[in-house]
Order: sequence, then structure tokens, then C-alpha cells
Amino acid sequence: MSFIDPLYPVFLATGFAVGFGHCIGMCGPIVVSLSLNLKDKNILLPHLLYNSGRVVTYGVLGGVMGATGSFTLVAAHIAEIQKGAMIFAGVLIIIMGLAMSGWISFGQVFGNSYNPGGFISKGFRRLSQIKSPAAYFPIGLLLGLLPCGPVYTALLAAAGAGMEAAGTLEAIIKGMGVMICFGLGTVPALFLVAKLADMGWLKKREIIYRIGAVLMVAVGIYFIIKGIRY
Amino acid sequence: MKPSILTGGKQLYFATKRVLKIISLFFILTGLLVFDGPLAPGPALAAESTVNCDAHKGVCSQSSGDLTVSLEITPRPVKAMQDLVFKVSIEGASPAKHPHIDLGMPAMKMGPNQVWLKPTGPGTYEGTGVIVRCPSGKRTWFANVIVPESGEVKFIFNVIY
Repeated sequence: MSFIDPLYPVFLATGFAVGFGHCIGMCGPIVVSLSLNLKDKNILLPHLLYNSGRVVTYGVLGGVMGATGSFTLVAAHIAEIQKGAMIFAGVLIIIMGLAMSGWISFGQVFGNSYNPGGFISKGFRRLSQIKSPAAYFPIGLLLGLLPCGPVYTALLAAAGAGMEAAGTLEAIIKGMGVMICFGLGTVPALFLVAKLADMGWLKKREIIYRIGAVLMVAVGIYFIIKGIRY
Repeated sequence: MKPSILTGGKQLYFATKRVLKIISLFFILTGLLVFDGPLAPGPALAAESTVNCDAHKGVCSQSSGDLTVSLEITPRPVKAMQDLVFKVSIEGASPAKHPHIDLGMPAMKMGPNQVWLKPTGPGTYEGTGVIVRCPSGKRTWFANVIVPESGEVKFIFNVIY
């Protein structure tokens, strides 16, 4: 029984390569939103936690793929969850954008029926005030479910590695290994985007900050539409 | 005098850092535009993404030199995210090793997705694979049939999401 698979370095390199192309386009807006939302705080720990959450989700999905050995079976079951994750990402970006701009207070968002103690209001207010580094881990866990072509390809390989494994444990570990390597490979690109969005000198300029907020709302709407149509 | 020299040095340090950030941002944005954006070489990309196979209708044939390859994907219509059977027949070459198929999108990198083919008869091979769904909505995929030591033939087709 061997838990080492030649696919690990292949998918580490794949993650790195697609990270700088595909992931920047797909997850870039989310990462920029998370960075801008931190304002003047250090981005290192929150983004480390966000990426850790993402890699953990990939690992779990890889383990499930490895155990079942069937990509299509698992993919069919998680399709609706992925749709929800995409819509959630859109809502999260919009709320962060609105809160960052400071243009709209939550009283205005919810009109006269605004109830600061209400469940939805509380939830939205918490989302808009995500600044605690610990909150970035569950966000990463959830956003790791976002539908993405290269992630699907890596999951396909994880299922293949599971099929070729001698036993269930080996299949799970190999599936997890492929996905964790892939996820780790994507981290440098997303960290770079986070760092670029964290330019203090940019954020101090109010106009750029507000343009950023408008873009975040636009990107959020785009994610929601994509999620609904997915 | 000493504090002002230190302040000047600090200012120079931050100014340099700022310039470096602007330069790196410029290079990254330029790189993205050139390699993956609107400044990407249009005609080449267009040529590579021109559909040359209607996989929903049946067998497609393409030639490259002496090599003629036929590809059939079932079940039809060809849909993403389901198990597909790829049947390949080769004329004009007797490959020493089994051929395989690289699946991908002309428009973006999707990672290695290969279909390993097994012989089913003289010059005929079969394998199973999956075309994954791209959330961008782009539906054009390619199947590059690679025949070891003989060459490769690319089939470009649309799939249903």
C-alpha cells in the first residue's frame, strides 16, 4: 500500500499554472473583496485562513471522490450546493462592497421594516463586518465549493486515483492528496492578488475605494446571476 | 539633522516601494491582457477554436499528413459532467503504444484531462472520460488524439452543459 501518487506533483504544478490564469479570473474578485474589506489590517493571517479553508474543502471532496471512484456520481450530488456557494459568494461580495462604500446604511437597505435584532439583519450585519481573521476560514471552506473547471479536472483525477488504489483508505488518501496538492498550487496566485489589493496607498484614496466598492457590487451581481443560471 | 535624514530615507524607501508596486501591477495586468485577455492573439485563438466536428451527430474524421483519425463520442448528444465513451479508429499508422486523448478547452486552461484508450480491434481503440463543465459558459472543447510516434489530430466540438 502506497499513499504516494505521481499525480501529486502534476496537480501541484497544475494548480500553480491555472492559479495564475483561471483562478485569478474566477476567485480574484472574491479575494480582492476580502482584502479590501480588511481595510488597514494585516491580510496575511485572514488570507492564510481563507486559503486553508479552501484547501480543506478540496481535500474533503478529493477524499470522497477517491472513496467512491466516481466523479460523475459525486458531482451530480454536489451540483446544487455549488450553485448555492456561487450565489452566496455574490451576496457576500455585494454586502462587503456596500458596507465598504459607506453609502448605504442597513436601515436604508431594509427600509422601514429594518429590525436590528432580526435574524436576517443580524446575518447581513455580521457578513458586512467580517474582519475577524477567524471568519475567513469558514468563508474559505464554503467558497472551496465554487464550481470551477480546473477543480473539476482535479476531482476527476482524484476519482481516478481512488479507482486505482488497492483499498478504501488508500483511495481516500490518494484522492485527498491530489486535491490538497492542487489547492496548495493555487495559493500563490491568490495571495498575490490579495497582496495587490492590499495596497495601503491605494486604499487611502477615497475615490479608488469607492470605485472598488462599485466594482464589487457589479461582480457580486454577476456571481449571483451565474449561480442562478448554473 | 539626524532625524530629517532618517525621515528622508524612510520617504525614499516608501516611494521606491510604491513605484515597484505600480510596476509589478502594470506587468501583471499587461501579462493578463496579453496572455489571457482581450490583447491575446485573436486570429490564432480563433483558428484553434473553430469547430471542426459535430460530435452530436456521429463520427468525425480528421487527417494530419498520412494519419487519419476518426472519433465517435457516445452517448449523444454529448453532454458535460457525464461518463462518455470515446471510440477512435486510426488509419495510416500502426502505433507502437496505445494512443490517448487530451481533453481541454481552446479558450482556457483546464488542467490535464486524459482519456486512456484500449485496443478493441485492428486500428480501433476505446476509452471512457468526462468533459467537465466550465462555469464561464463556454462550450467549445477539443479532443486531441495523440498517436505515439505518428502525430496528433485535434477535434474541436461543442458540448451541452
